[in-house]
Amino acid sequence: MRFQLSFKSGKPIYLQIVDQIRSAAAAGAIKAGEPLPSIRPLAEELRVNRNTVAKAYAELEGQGVIETVAGKGCFLRTNNSPFNKEVRRRLLTDEIDEAVVQAHHLQVSRSEFLRIAEARFDAFEDKRSRAAGKAGA
Amino acid sequence: MTTESEAIAVNQLVRRYGRTDAVDGLSLRVQRGRCYGFFGRNGAGKTTTIKCLLNLLRPTSGEVRVFGLDPARDEVGVKARLAYVPDHVAFYPWMTVRETLDYFASFRSRWNADTERSLVDRFGLDVRQKASHLSKGQRTQLALVTAICPEPELLVLDEPTSGLDPIVRREFIETVIGAYQEGAPGRRTVFVSTHLISEFEGLIDEFTIIDRGRNVLTMDADTAREQFQKIYARFPSAAPPIDLAGCRVVRQQGREVELIVDGTHVNHAPVMMDRLKALSPETLHSEALSLEEIFVAALA
Repeated sequence: MRFQLSFKSGKPIYLQIVDQIRSAAAAGAIKAGEPLPSIRPLAEELRVNRNTVAKAYAELEGQGVIETVAGKGCFLRTNNSPFNKEVRRRLLTDEIDEAVVQAHHLQVSRSEFLRIAEARFDAFEDKRSRAAGKAGA
Repeated sequence: MTTESEAIAVNQLVRRYGRTDAVDGLSLRVQRGRCYGFFGRNGAGKTTTIKCLLNLLRPTSGEVRVFGLDPARDEVGVKARLAYVPDHVAFYPWMTVRETLDYFASFRSRWNADTERSLVDRFGLDVRQKASHLSKGQRTQLALVTAICPEPELLVLDEPTSGLDPIVRREFIETVIGAYQEGAPGRRTVFVSTHLISEFEGLIDEFTIIDRGRNVLTMDADTAREQFQKIYARFPSAAPPIDLAGCRVVRQQGREVELIVDGTHVNHAPVMMDRLKALSPETLHSEALSLEEIFVAALA
């Protein structure tokens, strides 16, 4: 998988790594049981402190997204959400709230917002099925 | 005053050259295992501070401690635990690369020969080459090899990449991330002085900005990037009066306002965003500053 880090997003670098691995997992770019890049080469490639990558992996492990196999590295877990439905819904609600506020400021109407959401779902599913097709080929 | 968890402690350091105060009451603390940026313009006092840490200069007043030790009293104890890459690297010109490596290794209780081999290989250094025939980039690479092979607990880098080409600079930083932090990342501390801040951005956990020998700002890098924000607002008609306390105005012209929120005020950016939102701007957005932009803002 590829990472795109920005020092100008205001979001701590380790959280950017966490989020990108989570979305790669959600989009099927990494599959359950597949290994994540090891800390050293990833840190060198991204030119960030190793502690930053280690912190991101520790966070992902705490969230139950990945597991560490001693001597072998980190792998994506089969069921990557340890949260119950209630908690998952709440996490998502917070993110949606932010987007709704943003839409208000950008003068994007409710119906337009919902249209965009639909389109994003389509794009996401499309990406997922293409990733699945590639893995099958 | 200092604890074992601190790799470096500088307390009220003053170093005077004649009538010039190169360092003028500087204090900072570096926790072990951190990568600490020491940022300042040319002549801000960075090298003088580092020379005091290495006992190459004696403080006029104040104190410096490395791993709790006074470098002036316990020079060997301090130097055995650190390695230093200066901005101008000099080796004995008559020695070959091989002889230089052996010479440096002879002063050290540890020397990782595997690391030496892989770095010499990576940098493409010819061990039979005379030190006098090395390019500036190669001399810096050799200095980095001599600094990393002893696996020191503290790596002090003084403007290590200035004047080098982009490829050598990249390799240098990757080597610090990869080879140096390899063993026990928690016990590897980096103290790097530079004004090429963006190159080291991903490496820095915490930093101090020094100007005219004084500490202008010390902050955690993530916190700084989160709290220093540039906000742009455009209003439908002439901008209304705005309470701009805790901000520096970059531009205020007609319908537009651009400002930088001083990140030393905790959570001031969201406060400013709310304040501006309440004035119904037609456009409003904010972006974080990079460490280099924070450096420029702090010295403005």
